[in-house]
Amino acid sequence: MAGDNVELIVETQHLTKIYQNRQIALNDVSLTIEPGCVLGLLGPNGAGKTTFLRLILGLHRPTAGWAKVFGKEMHPNAADLRRRIGYIPTNPQFPKGMTPITYLDYIARLFGLPSDIRKPKLATLIRAVDLLAHSGDSLSHFTPGMTARLAVAASLINEPDLLIWDEPTHGLDIEARRSMLELIKRLAADKTLILSSHNLSDVDEVCNHTCVLNKGQLIFHGSLQDLKGRIRKNHYELDLDGEQKAITKAVGVLRGLKDFTQVLLRHRRLDVKLGEETPNASLLAQMFQVLADHKVTLITVRSVGMQTEQAYLDLVEKEEQRGFARLYATAEAA
Amino acid sequence: MDANPAVVTLRFNKFLPYWAVFQTDLKQTVRSWVYRLWVIMTVFASGGFLLYRVGLHQEAGIVQSAAVQCGDLFRIMVMGSLALVVVLAVSAVGAERGTLADSILSRGISRHQYFLAKWHARLVVVIATFTTLAVGVMIAGYFLFKSDAESDLSLVGGFAAVLAVGAVLAVIVSCGVVIGAMTHGTVLGITVFWLLLYGVGFLLTLMPEPWPSPDRELARLKFVLRGQFNEMFVVNLVAISVVLCAVAGSLGLMGFSKSDV
Repeated sequence: MAGDNVELIVETQHLTKIYQNRQIALNDVSLTIEPGCVLGLLGPNGAGKTTFLRLILGLHRPTAGWAKVFGKEMHPNAADLRRRIGYIPTNPQFPKGMTPITYLDYIARLFGLPSDIRKPKLATLIRAVDLLAHSGDSLSHFTPGMTARLAVAASLINEPDLLIWDEPTHGLDIEARRSMLELIKRLAADKTLILSSHNLSDVDEVCNHTCVLNKGQLIFHGSLQDLKGRIRKNHYELDLDGEQKAITKAVGVLRGLKDFTQVLLRHRRLDVKLGEETPNASLLAQMFQVLADHKVTLITVRSVGMQTEQAYLDLVEKEEQRGFARLYATAEAA
Repeated sequence: MDANPAVVTLRFNKFLPYWAVFQTDLKQTVRSWVYRLWVIMTVFASGGFLLYRVGLHQEAGIVQSAAVQCGDLFRIMVMGSLALVVVLAVSAVGAERGTLADSILSRGISRHQYFLAKWHARLVVVIATFTTLAVGVMIAGYFLFKSDAESDLSLVGGFAAVLAVGAVLAVIVSCGVVIGAMTHGTVLGITVFWLLLYGVGFLLTLMPEPWPSPDRELARLKFVLRGQFNEMFVVNLVAISVVLCAVAGSLGLMGFSKSDV
């Protein structure tokens, strides 16, 4: 993924974390993240996503390997590196007895921002995240949506180059989730983002790169297109219009064609699965020709299933099935 | 004409993160129930003790000097405060482990600054509170037992007594903060430190004279309050306390900057 002469935002080599010699949370993860990348960090529960983020932030120390951020090795005392990072943990918690103003002021002071910079900035952010009416309220009474908005403001107060958001849409209602995704899209224009998420449709919508972790192992790292390209399910649904007799006849013809592994008609919805041997474009062309020949009108055509979700599930499933082969073929998987 | 957007370069103050954590911790400690319990208990216990002694003095005619009254009170204050001071010290870093530490240590603050700010804040709270309470006790003792106090309580002695107890408390707070930073649970840290403190204290009471038994040293406070003390002893005590605090702090700095939060 890394090109020549590009200052990498994040680079890890053989990054490994073993907790108290009992649990392998992350196993030999090597990857690079370039500027402008919006990386979706995927993986089931316990895959090592949060551990990976904590290692990048210097909250945890690697058992082996290293993580570099902005070209310098990250460690617990690397305050200068963290000054360029905006982080949102999964469930943001705030110190007791604070209001949004005092909290953001505290966070800004933790970044070392002097008063003449931080005061106008926090006022702007409180307005931007729509918390102006609650700016004097105690944080203990905040709803999850308000908490998430405040966490966003806190992560942006230092004007970071890298944003690390751990499940930013977790626990949000539909409206709040939508505005969070829109915000991510806007931020992606001039920042590098790492988003950890369980929600594959979120990743599909806002990310251009993905990284899949499973049981601490990196099983995929590349562009979203690469991930989707790994599968060709060739499963389509078509909504048809026309005479029922003509539709039935066309379906009969399609069933007789080679490489049409499944052709099902339910009312006026056609469910078609294609084989892997012939390119799907030519099979689809054949199908459209048959429908045209029988004067059947095509209303909609769509690929079945979330491609990203399917690709992700396939990857995890394949990884589970590899068994001992994993020992010798890790490079192929990544 | 093209209007290029102004490039805003953020200025950073290196020491601001330390002050932020220091000030916030001071405020939060003073608002915590452990601190309030400590102050309220000490005020009520001291008030009750003084009224009881005044009653004995005036009604039963049992005369005891102000230095003896204040010395006894100091001893009760120290022994009574110890358990809560340990809780305050160990919880400084330990109680913020996990998500809260995440949202603080993921910002532009180093582990060193965070640990130092927490340690210093707890030291200031405990020593300032004890000094205020002790001065209050001495003033109350002076006025309630005025007839004896005029020739009994010494200003230098009072200062030396507060300094000596403060030095011991500083070591206890420092060790507590370090234990809290190194252990993975506050309850575990508090238990370990209580066992250590009371265990060592108990063992020292069994040791012969040259060993510094807490009971014996605290019993000597009445002489210190009268001004009858060896200056070198107080100087040495403070010096040893400073060294122990520095050693504990250094260990804490090293340990905390290598630990996961």
